[in-house]
Amino acid sequence: MSTFVLSVNGIQHHITADPDMPLLWALRDLLHLTGTKYGCGIGACGACTVHQDGKAVRSCQVTLSTTTGKQYTTIEGLSSDGTHPCQKAWIEEDVSQCGYCQVGMIMEAASLVRNKSKITNDEIDAALSDHVCRCGTYQRVRRAVLSSCAGSCGDAGKADEAGAGA
Amino acid sequence: MNTTRRAFLKASTIASAGLILWIDSPKSSASPASPIFAPNAYISITPDNTVRLWVTRSEMGQGVRTVLPMMLAEELEADWSTIQLEQAMPGGQFKGIRLRTSGSGSTEGTYKVMRQAGATAREMLIAAAAANWNVPPAACHAAKGTIVHTSTGRSLTYGALAISAAQQTPSDNPPLKDPKDFRLIGKPIKRSDSHAIVTGRATYGLDVQREGMLYAVVARCPYIGGKAVSFDDRAALRIAGVRQVVAVKTGIATGVAVVADNTWAAIKGRDALQVKWDPGPHRDFDSTRFLQEQESALKAESEGFFVRNDGDARQALASAAKRLKAVYEFPFQAHAPVEPMNCVADVRPNSCEIWVPTQCPEVALAETAKMLGLPEDAVKIHVTLLGGGFGRRLFADYVPEAVEVSRAAGRPVQVVWTRSDDMQNGFFHPSDIEQITGGLDTTGQPIAWLQRSVGSDLSMFGLPTEEEKKDRQHYFKDGSPWGSFDNPYNFPHLKADFIPINSPVPTGPWRAVEYPPTVFARESFIDEMAHAAGRDPLEFRLHLLAPGDVLQVGTAKIDRSRLIRVLQTVAEKAKWGTPLPSTNSYIKKEAGPDTTRQWGRGIACNVYDGGSFMAQVAEVSVGRELRDIRVHRIICATDCGLAINPAGIAGQAESGVIWGLSATLHGKIDFKNGAAVQENFRDFEVVRMNEAPEIETYIVPSDHPPGGFGETAVPCVAPAVANAIFAATGKRIRRLPITPEKLQS
Repeated sequence: MSTFVLSVNGIQHHITADPDMPLLWALRDLLHLTGTKYGCGIGACGACTVHQDGKAVRSCQVTLSTTTGKQYTTIEGLSSDGTHPCQKAWIEEDVSQCGYCQVGMIMEAASLVRNKSKITNDEIDAALSDHVCRCGTYQRVRRAVLSSCAGSCGDAGKADEAGAGA
Repeated sequence: MNTTRRAFLKASTIASAGLILWIDSPKSSASPASPIFAPNAYISITPDNTVRLWVTRSEMGQGVRTVLPMMLAEELEADWSTIQLEQAMPGGQFKGIRLRTSGSGSTEGTYKVMRQAGATAREMLIAAAAANWNVPPAACHAAKGTIVHTSTGRSLTYGALAISAAQQTPSDNPPLKDPKDFRLIGKPIKRSDSHAIVTGRATYGLDVQREGMLYAVVARCPYIGGKAVSFDDRAALRIAGVRQVVAVKTGIATGVAVVADNTWAAIKGRDALQVKWDPGPHRDFDSTRFLQEQESALKAESEGFFVRNDGDARQALASAAKRLKAVYEFPFQAHAPVEPMNCVADVRPNSCEIWVPTQCPEVALAETAKMLGLPEDAVKIHVTLLGGGFGRRLFADYVPEAVEVSRAAGRPVQVVWTRSDDMQNGFFHPSDIEQITGGLDTTGQPIAWLQRSVGSDLSMFGLPTEEEKKDRQHYFKDGSPWGSFDNPYNFPHLKADFIPINSPVPTGPWRAVEYPPTVFARESFIDEMAHAAGRDPLEFRLHLLAPGDVLQVGTAKIDRSRLIRVLQTVAEKAKWGTPLPSTNSYIKKEAGPDTTRQWGRGIACNVYDGGSFMAQVAEVSVGRELRDIRVHRIICATDCGLAINPAGIAGQAESGVIWGLSATLHGKIDFKNGAAVQENFRDFEVVRMNEAPEIETYIVPSDHPPGGFGETAVPCVAPAVANAIFAATGKRIRRLPITPEKLQS
């Protein structure tokens, strides 16, 4: 067991845990941030996607021992009230079905559209084809990403990483 | 009583019972501390003007938490923007009310009940307001959560009327709204849980965390039907955070649970556990060999169980000018919802509380109570959101094991299934072999159809009893296998039979239950017959459905005119018969069609349980040297009766298409040496963003009662794609999944 300072959504958490523990389980079981989902544990489904210094990563593939000095953002910190352009677009396009994988896709999309004024379908395919949605919402995800980018990518970048409790 | 599978999936315990009224229930106005107007199990209104609607089905993505409340709120005239949703729990106020979620039956099965429940409450609120104003009830109307005195415009909120409404007499037969006055039904309404989902606040089973809760992961026997003989837990107990190691005797794959402070410690503890397994009697089971056995069974001289027998198909076939025969294969399939199985149990000395993502809360309740020797009212089952269900969660196997572990730990415990636990310990869709023989007369008219299915019975429903086996006409007369029994085409001579061969693999309903293999075969073979007759596959189908009469088979009535209409609609929307590649892409606008590829269109149709009609056209292209397959667009046309929520229908069409396409292009589970081979989303491939076609959905307006739609789009996908690939390449693939390797061979 080791002690870590884990920076999530702008808050420094002092935790004592196994250095091999994936960030996913630390977020969920130790910090009770259950918005980040478990789907596969091997980085093959994307359900556990969070931001590490602004970039989308699979939290099941990040061990606590590598988190020092990095800033993490989870869905709980993407916006305080669901007003990130991606979240708004997701509601507008009525994307979610069971919804379980959507948080991972939203985090991926938020990282993808950050500071972009235009996005191509190839970029969407490249970023989001690592995600699994068994409800098959891909077409609506595509529309939501396109519209969140068309909407206000500058704001998307700003809202991101603001940190709910910072 | 012989309960057929269909009856099991469809039966509604409230269908004939009518409304159960709870004016004097503990939560009603009888309690002065919290006066509530609760005219039935589905609605409660408090004086603070909170309108709560209970959802009596499990939300697993199919939209019940939107569409059921829509039907209630429509008649209640509730304000949609302010209603609060509650999830029903088995027992208590919902005793005798069906909560099980299966067979695409939620909308269809609750339509009348929801509307009556809403209308009963509305009429009581009107009566209360009328009494308050001393005017006749007919002088008042309900609007957006208030009762309005129509002539003066004065109004009272539902909250203000709650106490006096509870004293009104409920009507068993309240007037229902004229459909022309619907404000919600028939309008596209966005999903009620969207905001909670996109903010990460939605609570799935895995997100439940209770005070003092521990986490457990179970080492499960890697062999079907095997068990743990002994275990050494010393290394596991040395892992920091591991508390306890417990033998687990219940559930689908018994084993040894490691209980820990967090999920990771439990996983590490399980890795350190030494378990000696008894592989049991099926250690040599091999699914490839089993499929060969199934195929060999086609040759059986004796009849299988009759599914249907019209005319004399053998005789007609003998006299046919042209005969065709083909064999189709459908492998074992996993459900693989992205949220793996899980359950939180909190066993106390004389009670128990469960939080579980389940499609069958009644079974979870009964099994828990039985296991603990408790009366059912001492057990509470909280149904969380389901991160996908697809039939897997119709089994409650993951509840008793959590009860067992919590009882041993003396604490609330969450049992977490890892992905490989989930992928390898399912109730799989059984593998299936279909053989169809068809006959055409000298003019190319189709005259005979013989379909033989060799599959495993879905184990949750059991095989026929010895008594039933004696009567081969009897057992399947009410509808199994679906898709072959309710073949909609008008053949003068049609015979279908079924030979069950069971494997040791636990099997159960998968999305669209039994339709996927039978419809893949049927709609592929119709295409084969059309080509053999030199006719267009669409025209050939329309010919076989003429004159659009009603086909009665078993208890099912299939209105062929509705199937004709969806076929005509999809053909028109897909521009059937025009050259490909098409350029009518509406999302990937910048992507021009690649003319170096071979393009083709395929069509297929099906009727889900007599109530929902679907036709699809797939547009595919195949790369040079048959190196790759791309499905560009799938157009769906449906008549699903009254479309309560058209937005939900479109979503379920898209969802069903992707589900069907995953099985068409990738999905299968192999078994070797008595165990499932695939274990995660790397080796169990599904369609992802890069492969997702554009999907268009057209709803044919319909006055028929609402039909189910959670599964309707699934069965057509494989045959539409296979038929399109044939149109593109002249290659006919009859064994799923369809891969470039199979195309090249």
